Amino acid sequence: MQLKREAGWYKDTIIYQVHVRTFFDSNGDGIGDFQGLAQKLDYLQDLGVDAIWLMPFFPSPLRDDGYDISDYRAVHPRYGTLEDFKSFLSVAHERGLSVIIELVANHTSDQHPWFQESRSSQQNPKRDWYVWSDTDTRYRGTRIIFLDTEMSNWAWDPISKSYYWHRFFSHQPDLNFDNPAVREEMWQVMKFWLDLGVDGFRLDAVPYLIEREGTNCENLPETHEIIRWLRKRVDDEFPGTMLLAEANQWPADLRPYFGNGDEFHMAFHFPLMPRMFMGLRLEDRKPITEILQQTPDIPSTCQWAIFLRNHDELTLEMVTDIERDYMYDIYATDKSMRLNLGIRRRLAPLLDNDRRRIELMTGMLMSLPGTPIIYYGDEIGMGDNIHLGDRNGVRTPMQWSGGSNGGFSTADPEILYSPLISNPLYGYQAVNVQSQKRFDHSLLSWMKQIIRVRRSTPVFGSGSIEFLYPANHRVLAYVRKLGKETVLVVNNLSSAAQAVELDLKQYKGNILIEMFGKNIFPRIGDLPYLLTMGPYQFYWFRLRRI
Amino acid sequence: MAEEVLLNDEFLRQLMNVGEVDIVVGLPTYNNAKTIEPVVRAIQAGILKCFPRERVVIIGADGGSQDGTRDLVTGISIDDVWRASKVYALRTLPVVTTEYGHGPEHRLALRTILSAADLLRARACVVISPDSTTIEADWLQHLVQPIYKEDFDLVAPVYRRQKFAGLLMRNLLYPMTRAVYGSGIREPYASEFAISGRLATDFLGNEDWNGDGARSGPEIFVTIMAITGKYKVCQSFLGVKPAQDRSSDLVEAMRRTVGPLFSSLDGKFGYWSSVTSCQQVPAFGPQSEVTLEPLTVDLARIREMFVTGVGELDAVFKSVLTESTLADLRRIAALDLSSFRYPAEMWAKTVFEFAASYHKSVISRDHIVQALVPLYRGRALTFLLENQEASAEEVERSVESLCGEFERLKPYLLEVWGERK
Repeated sequence: MQLKREAGWYKDTIIYQVHVRTFFDSNGDGIGDFQGLAQKLDYLQDLGVDAIWLMPFFPSPLRDDGYDISDYRAVHPRYGTLEDFKSFLSVAHERGLSVIIELVANHTSDQHPWFQESRSSQQNPKRDWYVWSDTDTRYRGTRIIFLDTEMSNWAWDPISKSYYWHRFFSHQPDLNFDNPAVREEMWQVMKFWLDLGVDGFRLDAVPYLIEREGTNCENLPETHEIIRWLRKRVDDEFPGTMLLAEANQWPADLRPYFGNGDEFHMAFHFPLMPRMFMGLRLEDRKPITEILQQTPDIPSTCQWAIFLRNHDELTLEMVTDIERDYMYDIYATDKSMRLNLGIRRRLAPLLDNDRRRIELMTGMLMSLPGTPIIYYGDEIGMGDNIHLGDRNGVRTPMQWSGGSNGGFSTADPEILYSPLISNPLYGYQAVNVQSQKRFDHSLLSWMKQIIRVRRSTPVFGSGSIEFLYPANHRVLAYVRKLGKETVLVVNNLSSAAQAVELDLKQYKGNILIEMFGKNIFPRIGDLPYLLTMGPYQFYWFRLRRI
Repeated sequence: MAEEVLLNDEFLRQLMNVGEVDIVVGLPTYNNAKTIEPVVRAIQAGILKCFPRERVVIIGADGGSQDGTRDLVTGISIDDVWRASKVYALRTLPVVTTEYGHGPEHRLALRTILSAADLLRARACVVISPDSTTIEADWLQHLVQPIYKEDFDLVAPVYRRQKFAGLLMRNLLYPMTRAVYGSGIREPYASEFAISGRLATDFLGNEDWNGDGARSGPEIFVTIMAITGKYKVCQSFLGVKPAQDRSSDLVEAMRRTVGPLFSSLDGKFGYWSSVTSCQQVPAFGPQSEVTLEPLTVDLARIREMFVTGVGELDAVFKSVLTESTLADLRRIAALDLSSFRYPAEMWAKTVFEFAASYHKSVISRDHIVQALVPLYRGRALTFLLENQEASAEEVERSVESLCGEFERLKPYLLEVWGERK
């Protein structure tokens, strides 16, 4: 059974992203599992989030951290059993937590039985389940995504002596969505999990489902047809299910993924995230306001998913060259921090572990239009390990305590799936849930507070946004409105104190109530409203006409 | 900082919003509506191209324009520039303007710009003339880079000039500054230059700021302060400088340049009197560049103005010049155009005697500067005649030779400086 929630529940939700492997090991084998995750749901409930987004947990050779699936209808034995999953789902729902899982539809592992059959002979019934070619010259206008590892989107298969298409790693052959049997099978996969009660799917790599000669093979109309078809089946049979698109595209190219409210419910706003980091370092609101100005309106039932960090590198695909160079120079001074077109670091190290900057960035995340997603461990300021390969440096075990293995596992440290962060600054001895629970002023406590304040009003999830453009460009200010509720948000992006005059004359007569301390600020009059702000300070004010 | 209140509240509010910056680009404007647009666009393009990461503000210090100059400065959108140049702006580029008074006054304009740079803690402050229509995006880089990369305090420009343009610079300001202060800055009185935040702050705090020299020619005052204050000085090649309007008032030009130069000698005697050689100034790009396009000049008219001046100002010259110089002057005033020559040695002596008289205030200092105008015309005529067919190298040699005369005769300046008239 799915969690019963109001229509559009995903708009007023705070999502917590976690990989089951990383969270808590219940059986002492060094790997997090579903029983462990279920045991920690109280923690997530206490944090105040409403939904959990689970990264792939399906059987897989794990050459891409589970995004190379070899069986869509089971749980990887390392993480438990299907029964464990069901049990976890039930406990999550009891706590009012929705569960969103991954649907890696674009490709499978080359170890998936479908691919094994497909490559076995050109006459095999599953031959057309993947994209095969006698040459590697088709679809030449298609970019290569993993530039650091792949030379081509085609790979030679010595068994069937032909090339297969892959947009990601060569061990991840793309499924052929032109084949109706593939589409139907993918729906059956979704139905399998929906029958168990999952509340939503994050569809991985959606722009790449279809290939056409003479195009860049991204965002094609046929891809949208498939999405609309899946959406209709979801709506017909499992109303209330949320579909979230992973499409790392410019806002104008993302807009079609919402369709007329008949494709995805949500889509990640990828270009916003690097610009938040950029605006902070430039001490200038321009990158943020500019990208949000370029962001088209979306249907009222739809929502952006916004985030600061996730399991991947901080992607710099959707920035200009000059912006990318700047980001690299500022946030990835050590070249080993760079991966593909991005930066493989966590939130706290990116922000030099500066609590003020972490709070400001989180404040913006929680108040800009969209549903915020918190990456596990960022709520306590976990660090990363750039000496681990690929993106594994941001996927280290959750730090629960200062004890053995950071409280993550009772296994010998040598057999943990990944070493814990153990340096003096970010190590589990210094940064962990247990210690932060003890202090009201810890980052964790502060996170609980801001989540609570955000949840005190639907205006952040569903309200409109109107930017104010005070002459002081170091200040990012906007008004969020929903019905009679109006909230003013003012962020000082600067490392220095700032004075700012806000043109609030259309709200003349209102008083401002600061939403964290509930203190009253002076009534808005005829003159520009003067605020002085400390370094990296932000305010959320509820406007009231009293 | 001097105690005089200069920046009005509205301007301060604008600066408050701008906040700390790396570079201030100042435009001292007054009724520049006809030329200001390409200048601002070139500055914006230069910022996008060369300083995309730096915090930059453009400040228009306006003398009360009636032609909408201020609105033009603030109205030029950088979006157009970055679309045209295909270079993306990382940052907001604030443009602010203020009216410092009702009428143009270089000193107040410069002081407004430098005060803003000081308040905003700029590392570099660039001043660009609002009528430099030949400005290119690279100018900004050439002016700022030496401060940014090599820690210079003053970056003076070097322009590509037509061989008969900039005559006052070549025949008086450059040779005199070089001989007296021992610094080979080609354009000691420049309408474009850049200074470090350190020099800007020190300059504002200098008590001489309110003196006659700074009042009438603050730009040259900056140059001299940089030279004598042991700041790091260099020059940077910019490109073509538009020829000045020949109808512009030469008397006014000399008041703004020669007057402050003479005036500076009073307070800096201890410095310049001990200078015995010229120091090479580091240069980025060519140290000079001369072009040879033809220029039509009415030589007979210039001679006529010289002769008339010598005749009418004889009484003044008796107070200013030595008898032998005056006699030589009368002699060359009698020469016809074909044989007219105002020799370099005599010109150097003339200028030094004027400088000494200015020091002693034998008559009104302003009258002294004005009286030099016809004589300068005579020297300019000589330069034109001597270089009519000259190549660029020959023109440069001619300027170098004149500088040599000024340097050789520097003891003469010291001699007349101390004499009682």
